[in-house]
Amino acid sequence: MNESKFAEPVLNTDQNLGFFEMIMPPEDISQHGHEIDALFNYTTSLNIFFFILVCAGLFGFSYLYHQSRHPKPYYTYGNKKIHILVSTIIGVAVFIGIDLNITRMSNDDYIGIFTNWPDESQEDVVRVQVLGQQWAWNFRQPGEDKVFNTEDDVVTLNDLRIPAGKKVIFQILSKDVIHSLYFPNARRKTDAIPGRITRMWIQFNKPGTYDIACAEMCGTYHYRMAARLTVYEEDDYNHWLAEANQIFDAINDPEDAKIYWGWKWTPTSSTKKVGMSK
Amino acid sequence: MAFYEQHIHPKPTTFLSKYIFSYDHKVIGKQFLWYGILFLFVGGLMALMIRWTLAYPGQPFPVIGSFLFPETGGAVPADTYAMLFTMHGTIMIFYAITPILIGCFGNYCIPLMLGARDMAFPLLNMLSFHLAALSGLILMGSLFTPLGAAAGGWTSYPTLSTLIGSPGMGQTLWSLAIFVLGVSSTMGAVNYITTIITLRAPGMGYFDMPLTIWGLGLTAVLNAIFLPVLGAGVLLLIFDRLFGTTFFLAGAAATTGTGDPVLFQHVFWIFGHPEVYILILPAWGIVSDLLSFFARKPAFGAKATALAMTSITILSTLVYGHHMFTTQMSPLLTQTFMTLTMTISIPSAIFFANWLGTIWKGSIRFHSPMLFSLGVVFVFGLGGLTGLYLGTVTTDLYLHDTYFVVGHFHYTMAASVLLGGFAAIYFWMPKMFGTIMNEFWAKIHFWITMLGLNGVFFAMMLVGYGGMHRRIYNPFIYEFTQKLIPLNTFATWSAIIMGFAQIIFVVNFVYAVFFKKEKASQNPWEVGTLEWTIPSPAPHYNFKEIPVVKCGPHELGNPNLGNGRDFQYQTEELA
Amino acid sequence: MSVKAPNIQNGLALQSSIAMIMTLVSFSMLFATLFLGYVAYRFTADVWPPMGMQRASLLIPTISTFTILLSSLSYFALEKSVFNKDWKKAKAYFYLTLTLGSCFMGFQFLLWRDLKLTGIFVDSTVFGSIIYAFTWIHAAHVVAGMLALLFLIPAIHQTIDEEKGMIRTKSVGQFWHFLGIVWFLIFFGIFVF
Repeated sequence: MNESKFAEPVLNTDQNLGFFEMIMPPEDISQHGHEIDALFNYTTSLNIFFFILVCAGLFGFSYLYHQSRHPKPYYTYGNKKIHILVSTIIGVAVFIGIDLNITRMSNDDYIGIFTNWPDESQEDVVRVQVLGQQWAWNFRQPGEDKVFNTEDDVVTLNDLRIPAGKKVIFQILSKDVIHSLYFPNARRKTDAIPGRITRMWIQFNKPGTYDIACAEMCGTYHYRMAARLTVYEEDDYNHWLAEANQIFDAINDPEDAKIYWGWKWTPTSSTKKVGMSK
Repeated sequence: MAFYEQHIHPKPTTFLSKYIFSYDHKVIGKQFLWYGILFLFVGGLMALMIRWTLAYPGQPFPVIGSFLFPETGGAVPADTYAMLFTMHGTIMIFYAITPILIGCFGNYCIPLMLGARDMAFPLLNMLSFHLAALSGLILMGSLFTPLGAAAGGWTSYPTLSTLIGSPGMGQTLWSLAIFVLGVSSTMGAVNYITTIITLRAPGMGYFDMPLTIWGLGLTAVLNAIFLPVLGAGVLLLIFDRLFGTTFFLAGAAATTGTGDPVLFQHVFWIFGHPEVYILILPAWGIVSDLLSFFARKPAFGAKATALAMTSITILSTLVYGHHMFTTQMSPLLTQTFMTLTMTISIPSAIFFANWLGTIWKGSIRFHSPMLFSLGVVFVFGLGGLTGLYLGTVTTDLYLHDTYFVVGHFHYTMAASVLLGGFAAIYFWMPKMFGTIMNEFWAKIHFWITMLGLNGVFFAMMLVGYGGMHRRIYNPFIYEFTQKLIPLNTFATWSAIIMGFAQIIFVVNFVYAVFFKKEKASQNPWEVGTLEWTIPSPAPHYNFKEIPVVKCGPHELGNPNLGNGRDFQYQTEELA
Repeated sequence: MSVKAPNIQNGLALQSSIAMIMTLVSFSMLFATLFLGYVAYRFTADVWPPMGMQRASLLIPTISTFTILLSSLSYFALEKSVFNKDWKKAKAYFYLTLTLGSCFMGFQFLLWRDLKLTGIFVDSTVFGSIIYAFTWIHAAHVVAGMLALLFLIPAIHQTIDEEKGMIRTKSVGQFWHFLGIVWFLIFFGIFVF
């Protein structure tokens, strides 16, 4: 980690971003992250609409009905039929207009995409096991034998490399306290819980290097529990994997129990209940 | 329909019986007020330390930094930072907001607005304050333990909050302090509920009570039901830490059998979600009343507002899972929580409409209580709408544990409740202490606070939308947070401005309480609720004769009123 | 089978009832949370008791159940004699209730000793955690209940106003019976099933 950044206050002088660029979320490099962005923007537009109405009422009424401008108040309990009708219409309009809409959209995405696990027997998926610990991320990809927790597994520390354009399924566990595997550039995070395996699948599309962070308070150094995500073109990935396989096959000591933190990979079906496994 | 008439006690004479061991709800209310303001200051200072570290990591904290943190030359160290945000959250929620809104204004206003001479159980009331004081001592004491105070966030999720993540006494003392405070608040809640049911003046039906009482009563109901849930959770955590039970241990921590850390999250949020409504309901009630008082017309749809607040109270018990969307509960459960969370919009929108309906066609005076109430409408509107993003599962998957959440809950909890609390203090100052606070400085206080508050919390939401996650000591080590540095700096300076604005309030407050010569009249705001029928400040027995209520609490602007008055007291027949 | 208080018309009695009921709701939520946890652990465990632990012997829990049942019956008799102003009987039943409560506490200590002899310790998996946590917390409330009983001494010795005494007796009784009900749930939920 770049400790020198700790000492100096960092100035943004080299980027010269406009305000709108500054407040945009990180670049979305995933297949489905834009669904989340779209829903966010849709909700924002609805919110702006209703908030403008509220402000119009608030500021408008404050101006129009200032004591000096409107000395005689209109004496009503607000319980006439018309009043109740207007209030109810507003309440229902907000509910149907915003709430039900975004619920429907979110549901479709949640069931249709985010919990719609790829079928491992049909599709070519990349499988990764993740072990969070205080304060680092361990990643494990199976070696040529395609079985987890064997000698030829590629086990990396804070260094995840996957190919672009392929679905990646993560099974995540924590060794000690609760962490959360967070990919800002994919808009996704899933908690890493001790004693229970959680799962997530993402498809990364754009090659490059990106941040991985921990998004659940996990102790003093939670703030620098960072890892690097490297997305390769498929050929580069295969090249790297082959090299890594060889390296790890040579250095993985079968006697060293600490390397074998992995577990037997059970494929997720969309109907599988996530209970207290392991 | 009071169940009986409370008799008038003789006035206490000794210093101890007047100020320390008082049974008088008014004194106990003031004790809670001082207590809450003290902790507001402590929590606020911690917030400034957090903000300073986020804007200028590694730089010494101004003025007191080198005294507090000599080993790092005055900069906040990383482990202390974790303690700071943990204690900031805990203090603000349990030791600032709860004592001020619920402890002070609950105690002060309920008997006076109901026409009673005291709470149903004055001794229980006194014990409630002293337990809260004990709890505060325990919590602050935990800062001085060798390994420091609790540092796992105010949510203290296991296994970080078990011995594996938090060795030492700090977390245990934190848990104990919360438990004791829970007992204190539950005692208070039982007192409030019983008083509201049994000691309303003759003629006062439930819908003749001011909406402030509705807010406080509903808060008390939620407190009584859900604080014990937190108590159980925290007790089990204490058992895990002290006696080796394994309720929440798993993974490396579970050397003697496993439990389920996520169970704690369920238990915590079953309490935690009603808790946020506990914190806001009194402010909603107060604002509903004050908008009516200063627009000089009845609260629009008062009955509907009361019923809306009641339905929110009920709904709030069903939605807690939206805090846990990233823990992978079953999809069905996740969807259910999302849908239920959405339903809270309906009653919220209804009483928002009622608020606007109250000022619609009113004759608005912009005294400071009114300014603060209008401020609440603004910030709660904004904050409430941002909750929608977090209640929706897919957007929450991105925004969970980012500064967006922090911005959202600060808008709805900190901003709204703080502004509501200030409105209440400015409003009831004459009745509590017999003087009115300086109106000019009150307005300055309002505007600078609004400016600072919106600056900090809106910047937080922007930063969160940019992806910056929370509870981090130095955000600048990540690539994706680099461009958010100016926003963080902006938020820090807004916070500093907001912090300094509170000095204006403190000076104004202390001056009005202790030094101001000009006494307030009996009813300076010219409103009709029962506490304004007695002298300012209220005498120790409250009411010489128990009033008989003949009309509602918002009888203002009735064209049938004569004598140049535009309001009538609740004890007068409806004009 | 509740004892009918004689016609106390004034609102103090009603107020006391309302307050005590609200307090019991609070305590119920505490125990309900514990039961929620128990249900969660029990029904997600593959085998119960977990990890080959032995179940506790039912002898002492059963005796405890009878003791607390008797104490509730004794309390009913106490309430009746207070409302009938039969102070001699009231004193007798009061001391009987106090004794039975103390016996219950004694049996709890025997229970804890017996558990350890069976190999169930507080840190023996979540099974041990549950048994001890439940019985400790319940016992703590029983101690509180017995302290509450002491508040009845002025009532049965007629040093306070009679009506006030009757109200106190009723309120403390509600708490006392509540403790018995919670024990029943613990007994059947955790020891028997």
